Amino acid sequence: MTKWYNRNSAIYSSMLWVVSLVAIWEAVAMLIQDIWHLKSAPMKLPYLHKIILTMVQNSATIFGEGIATFGNAFLGFIIGSLIGLLLAVLISISKPMENALFPYLISSQMIPIVGLAPIIFGIMHNPELSRIIMSAYVTFFPVTINTHRGLKSVKPEQLELFSSYAAKPWEIYLKLKLWTAVPSFFTGLKLAAPLAITAAIVVELMGAPNGIGVLMVSSLYYGNAQAYMFWSTVLTSVFIGFAFYLILNLTERLIAPWQPEFHQNRR
Amino acid sequence: MMKSMRTVMRKGGNRRQQGNKMIMRRWDTMDMKMQNNTMISIDGAGVSFGSGEKEVIALQDIRLDIYNNEIISLLGPSGCGKSTLLRVISDLLQPTTGAVSVQDEEPRIARIKRKFGIVFQSPTLLEWRNVRENVELPLELIGIEKKKRMALSRDLLEMVGLTKFADHYPWQLSGGMQQRVAIARALSFDPPILLMDEPFSSLDEFTKEKLQLEVIRIQKQTKKTIIFVTHSMPEAVFLSNRIVVLSPHPGKIKAVLEIGLPAERHPALRETPGFYEYINKVRNCFHDEVGELYDEVV
Repeated sequence: MTKWYNRNSAIYSSMLWVVSLVAIWEAVAMLIQDIWHLKSAPMKLPYLHKIILTMVQNSATIFGEGIATFGNAFLGFIIGSLIGLLLAVLISISKPMENALFPYLISSQMIPIVGLAPIIFGIMHNPELSRIIMSAYVTFFPVTINTHRGLKSVKPEQLELFSSYAAKPWEIYLKLKLWTAVPSFFTGLKLAAPLAITAAIVVELMGAPNGIGVLMVSSLYYGNAQAYMFWSTVLTSVFIGFAFYLILNLTERLIAPWQPEFHQNRR
Repeated sequence: MMKSMRTVMRKGGNRRQQGNKMIMRRWDTMDMKMQNNTMISIDGAGVSFGSGEKEVIALQDIRLDIYNNEIISLLGPSGCGKSTLLRVISDLLQPTTGAVSVQDEEPRIARIKRKFGIVFQSPTLLEWRNVRENVELPLELIGIEKKKRMALSRDLLEMVGLTKFADHYPWQLSGGMQQRVAIARALSFDPPILLMDEPFSSLDEFTKEKLQLEVIRIQKQTKKTIIFVTHSMPEAVFLSNRIVVLSPHPGKIKAVLEIGLPAERHPALRETPGFYEYINKVRNCFHDEVGELYDEVV
């Protein structure tokens, strides 16, 4: 009984949140557009319902360009997470390996993506490949750092137990360390997901022929006339980002359901 | 013969109370020679951390024989090195000096032959495995096939009374139940020696007493040699055939007491004068220290 009540109240509170956000948005848009008549008001804050209308009217275009961008971002994200996982394991295997690899990992993140994207695009001359590479590039680092921490969080007593079972090093990885690192691996993935999307869009700003980023820049070029289109692309990215996060959260629940935050109400 | 020995032991105990500790030592060695079934032999083992002025001696010159099929307790206040001694025996820690042999082999060999089942203070279960899978973990590592694993874990869970909870996950169990799983897991691969490092000290008193009885029952059933680390005097007296009393700074053996209580350890035993007598004997080992301190002050 209480659990159902709690679940319902959670739904109510989040609905209230969304409704009041929409209400405030519309009110402010009305204020700057139709009451104060500010200059280029739609660009500052357009009506939400008009944005959604534009999205529906142009759904084919947005969908087509979106698939290109987010499809590549997702692929790059998958590749980046696998590389990140591999690097975390390599680093955790030995201290010399850690000392050798860590400086490179850190310095790789010092290059700004806005600077790196045109370089990669210039070398590849292929927008798809460039998007995938950039997304993978920004993904691997948070995954490596978090997974590495997870691998190290194994308790000494657990290692002693495995030692008393005469377990081999690879068995310790397979049956203990990797499992222990699953929650922090997901923390890394959740940090990396929005970065991967942003990275793919940044590549498109450098002169790609298609993608949501191209749509974004071209609609920005036409100013007020395309303000609603511009905002549609931004909102689409936000939705995709949310969906991405939600999928990751559900996957984590399926793969690592033992975590305390998933069963706080029990016991 | 055992009976006559116990009488002598008691005499020895009396004499020890008068301050003569050497007699206890000698009786231990004679005991071993007569029984000739030593499981573990510790010969002058010492452990120290750091060096120079910062050197901390955790254990000093430990000489002890542990016999087959006995429950022996390592008892002492925190910092006396009782857990360290357990780790030295099971090759989780290398002694700085001296040697240990387990069934006439180095601890390392014994560990690789999987002769130690270990239960820690925290159950240390793998959270992503259910109860049955946790119990089967060592069997998996040994490479026992699934059917046999299932049969073994079923028997073990029955022994610790958790048959109904085979598919539960650790977070769904109470602390006492988790510790039962840990015991079943330690026994799963049938090691001759069971090492228990303060296994019940974070449980409530009711659960604790229940599990103490379980340990005695399991020992009868499986004939394991059990080394039980504790800082609770009643627990040590109730469980043990012998108690090794350790004192801290540096950790060394203060006395080895044979507990002459009936082999059948019934809960009612806790209320008998004999039980209290042994607790007092253990306590006196520490009172000596207070006495020494007092002497110094005077």
